[in-house]
Amino acid sequence: MFFHIVLERNMQLHPRHFGRDMKDKLVSKLMKDVEGTCSGRHGFIVAITGVESIGKGLIRDGTGFVTFPVKYQCVVFRPFKGEILEAVVTMVNKMGFFAEAGPVQIFVSNHLIPDDMEFQTGDMPNYTTSDGSVRIQKESEVRLKIIGTRVDATEIFCIGTIKDDFLGVISDPGSTS
Amino acid sequence: MPRRRDEYEDDELEQDEEEEYDAVDEEDEEADDYDDGGKTKRKRGRSEFIDDYAEEEDEEEDDDDDEDYGGGGAGSRGGGAKRHRKAASGFFDEEAQVDTDDEEEDEDGDDDFIDPGADIPDEDDRRIHRRPLLSREDEQEDVEEIERRIQERYAKSLNVEYDEEATDVEQQALLPSIRDPKLWMVKCAIGREREVAVCLLQKCIDKGPELQIRSVVALDHLKNYIYIEADKEAHVREAIKGLRNIYPSKIMLVPIKEMTDVLSVESKAIDISRDTWVRMKIGTYKGDLAKVVDVDNVRLRATVKLIPRIDLQALANKLEGREVPKKKAYVPPARFMNIDEARELNIRVERRRDPSSGDYFEKIEGMMFKDGFLYKNVSLKSLRTLNVQPTFDELEKFRKTGENGDGDTSNLSTLFANRKKGHFMKGDRVIVVKGDLRNLKGLVEKVEEDTVHIKPNEKGLPKTLAINDKELCKYFEPGNHVKVVSGATEGATGMVVSVEVHVVNLVSDTTKELIRVFADNVVESSEVTSGVTRIGDYELHDLVLLDDNSFGVIIRVESEAFQVLKGVPERPDVALVRLREIKYKIDKKIFAKDRYKNTLSVKDVVKILEGPCRGKQGPVEHIFKGILFIYDRHHLEHAGFICVKSECCMMVGGSRANGDRNGNTTPSRFAHLRTPPRPQSPMRPPRGGPMNFGGRHGGGRGGRGHDSLIGAAVKIRLGHYKGCKGRVVDVKGTTVRVELESQMKVVAVDRSYISDNANVTTPSREPSRYGMGSETPMHPSRTPMHPFMTPMRDSGAPSLDGMRTPMRDRAWNPYTPMSPARDNWEDGNPGSWGTSPQYQPGSPSRRAYEAPTPGSGWTSTPSSSYNDAGTPRDSSSAYANAPSPYLPSTPGGQPPMTPSSAYLPGTPGGQPMTPGSGGLDMMSPVGGADNEGPWFLPDILVNVRRSGEDSSKGVIREILPDGSCKIALGSSGNGEIITSLASEIEVVAPRKADKIKIMGGQYRGSTGKLIGIDGTDGIVKVDDTLDVKILDMVILAKLVQT
Repeated sequence: MFFHIVLERNMQLHPRHFGRDMKDKLVSKLMKDVEGTCSGRHGFIVAITGVESIGKGLIRDGTGFVTFPVKYQCVVFRPFKGEILEAVVTMVNKMGFFAEAGPVQIFVSNHLIPDDMEFQTGDMPNYTTSDGSVRIQKESEVRLKIIGTRVDATEIFCIGTIKDDFLGVISDPGSTS
Repeated sequence: MPRRRDEYEDDELEQDEEEEYDAVDEEDEEADDYDDGGKTKRKRGRSEFIDDYAEEEDEEEDDDDDEDYGGGGAGSRGGGAKRHRKAASGFFDEEAQVDTDDEEEDEDGDDDFIDPGADIPDEDDRRIHRRPLLSREDEQEDVEEIERRIQERYAKSLNVEYDEEATDVEQQALLPSIRDPKLWMVKCAIGREREVAVCLLQKCIDKGPELQIRSVVALDHLKNYIYIEADKEAHVREAIKGLRNIYPSKIMLVPIKEMTDVLSVESKAIDISRDTWVRMKIGTYKGDLAKVVDVDNVRLRATVKLIPRIDLQALANKLEGREVPKKKAYVPPARFMNIDEARELNIRVERRRDPSSGDYFEKIEGMMFKDGFLYKNVSLKSLRTLNVQPTFDELEKFRKTGENGDGDTSNLSTLFANRKKGHFMKGDRVIVVKGDLRNLKGLVEKVEEDTVHIKPNEKGLPKTLAINDKELCKYFEPGNHVKVVSGATEGATGMVVSVEVHVVNLVSDTTKELIRVFADNVVESSEVTSGVTRIGDYELHDLVLLDDNSFGVIIRVESEAFQVLKGVPERPDVALVRLREIKYKIDKKIFAKDRYKNTLSVKDVVKILEGPCRGKQGPVEHIFKGILFIYDRHHLEHAGFICVKSECCMMVGGSRANGDRNGNTTPSRFAHLRTPPRPQSPMRPPRGGPMNFGGRHGGGRGGRGHDSLIGAAVKIRLGHYKGCKGRVVDVKGTTVRVELESQMKVVAVDRSYISDNANVTTPSREPSRYGMGSETPMHPSRTPMHPFMTPMRDSGAPSLDGMRTPMRDRAWNPYTPMSPARDNWEDGNPGSWGTSPQYQPGSPSRRAYEAPTPGSGWTSTPSSSYNDAGTPRDSSSAYANAPSPYLPSTPGGQPPMTPSSAYLPGTPGGQPMTPGSGGLDMMSPVGGADNEGPWFLPDILVNVRRSGEDSSKGVIREILPDGSCKIALGSSGNGEIITSLASEIEVVAPRKADKIKIMGGQYRGSTGKLIGIDGTDGIVKVDDTLDVKILDMVILAKLVQT
């Protein structure tokens, strides 16, 4: 799920940036530092949409660096248990498949793939129904439900299922090409 | 015990009478059968006397038992019994009978006392037996007698019940005390235990009360000894006097405490039922898992299903009467029986229908097979039912045949009947798997011995329910995060993917593998570990040096060992290594070179170009001895680690090593998340020649000069070691420690004393040169430039740090430990990202400068850009014409800088004029191989390789001033037009007879035809002049005409 929230961060700026563009520097550094990171509480910070306020800087002894408290608005993405997501399959193997929804990696075990889908090895490993009508392979887009998440310092890993109503492949690269 | 005995004494009296009647009765009615009856009785007596299995009661079983125990003993014993019966039948009938039963009762008493439950059927049996007698007695005895008897019997049965319900304390009271007769252990001949017991029995019968021993016990599992119960040792000696096979020299008293153990029956808590998993105790199949298919409780035998271990060849040999070596050196491996294979070996296979089950079996040599399994009839005693704990592998094998796939899993529940106690803990989520409350879920509230109090989740039920722990199973839901607490995968954590009653499938956090475990072995946990991640000083993913001087990365930590992916690039080699086999952890900052001689450091993202893992990409985790360990999260094997030679890799994106020094905490992490790794610094474009150039500055900029100097081959210029060559091993301040080639030692010299060895092409040498350059012009070739440089340096060097641009210092003098890596800052600045490719055209290749077209940027940007260049950014922006993003932000830096001339020579532009200086050397022969970056020309066929995508072919249509190219996709250039950075473009090498375009050298821009290839040289016929030229292949590109 995406959230638009306000976060705060202390930014350190090198003295060489002091000048007219300091604010821009600060913002670009903030973007670089923060965008794409992940925190257990908020999830992935997808994009910074704006800076609310930049506090007074504090010069640090010895280094000359200045610390600014910066409040910024950002879009965060955090997967939840039970959430339905659409994801792109990145890898298929006999244990199941991995899919990615943006920065989130989701594993769908073969236990959580409908029983009528079977693993087919080969050049392009895939899961196919017995009648061959539905196929999950690399690059397929699937709709899945998250049944478990594990949040680390730097990534969120999810376990998903497509063994439920209305879940499964939503577009198949194999059929279009 | 005494009390019991008294009761029995009473009972005995009564029994005497009864038996009398019994005998008479039988004599009357079945005179012929008398002998048999006598035999039966006696036999029974004997059997009970010597056998601790109380339930072996009836004749049938008895006989069977004999067979079971087999051997000569039974025969001789049987003979003995017969003789004895014959002798006794005439005269001692009644007495013998009485005595026998006497003993029997005694024995029963003993049994009772040990296992009250076991004997009850006996008593019932006997009572039933007696009942008809009783009615007959009615007629003959007077009423009082009957009353007394009834009362006694009633009392007795009460007693029995009392026993049945006996609590522990009451049981305790029955334990032998010092006043009770003692148990003596007497040695006898091996295998004759029963015989001796029977002899003693006979003696007892013969001598009557003269013999003061109370009982004799021969235990099946105890060879060489029998137990005799008696008050005094003398009584025992008396009793055994004159008996064969018994050795009176060894009579030992059994301590009172151990007396109960002597006679306690092995725990038979579980009775074997169908579908139980068991293990074989003995024989070829010892330890093998078996499944009970049929149980005959009467005969104490079971039919089990096993995976056969049969050596068909040996069997065939045997059947054909050939010599078979008697001693098998090995146990044949377990595998399914293939009947066809057997037939091929001419083994007779019969197909039979089993009368009891109706199933068909293949019969070979008396062995029954079905579906490849061996069906074996075995004694229950040879089965082990406790702690069977089948592994999943074993179960899978059994499941293979499929027909009862489901059944097997559900039968796992039998495994849990004998699981260890105390595995439920308060707060565990459980589900009821048996009984009325099946599928009820709840939380464990309290655990008592066998019962677990659970708080059911359902409403309308009592607050807590007490449920037998055998009916409970831990319960998990998919998505739960759990930890394995026992078993092979102990310590692993993961998320539950699915639950099949007793079996939980989980995806391991680290390996992303599927693990199947029993629910019992799992606890819920929020902890995210790969299980144990550390033993001793070594942690998961550490690079370690092993005993045999090999090295590897720890990819898995097991309970006592590590799995190490060894540093063998040809094939993945995983070794199981114990702690003590590890010498130490390798924790050095080592650098390696990729195929294009780019310096790789840890965390750099590389792409593998060769070998089995070709095409994989990931950050370098460890470098050692030219071997890289790359982590690719999409690589499922070996915890994502891939081991490759550094030469087989190519750096993708810029080096991260510099970024990490940037004082800010997240750069590398950040960089990881941007999937197409952007070149991090414009000065350090991703590939090829420019890289080298950039590398030189990059090294400097990153303040990493030290590190990159390490390992460089240098020559000592001055001082005591003047003239010596060596390798830099360490850099400390202004001193450098050099390992001398000639003297086998490491010396410390001033940094300014060393010069890089011109023959070696390490980028690291450049920094050193620059470092020195400022002080002493030692490169004659460069001297012309130095005049420009010197004044500036002079003024700059000392004060630079303070007030001018700190960056400058870093740019030029890599040894100044100025850290704020500018490139990272700049990365954050979108404006500067685009500058990276621009840099390339300006890069040092001489050819580029000679060439009329792209590289001309610098010439056309005269002083204006050099003003910009007041910042050290010059090296990129100045050349590229791009407005320096730093211009405004370098406060006060500019004025002193302005003498643009000072910069001009220092810029790469100067270098071409110094042929033979390290910078160029490095570029030309090897580095040049990938130097095509700046040489692109229109109409050549290239590979566009965008990170994250596969490479695609395209034709360059136009070269933009910033160095990037417009490329029409498709090998003939009629596809979509994209714009790519030079760094993403790779020239497609032409083949023989291809039309080519020359990208470098004096013929740059000319077209021609490749008429031959000689090693790295191509023989080209130039179109314009029709000359045949020999040119380096790297400057040739395939021409696509449109």
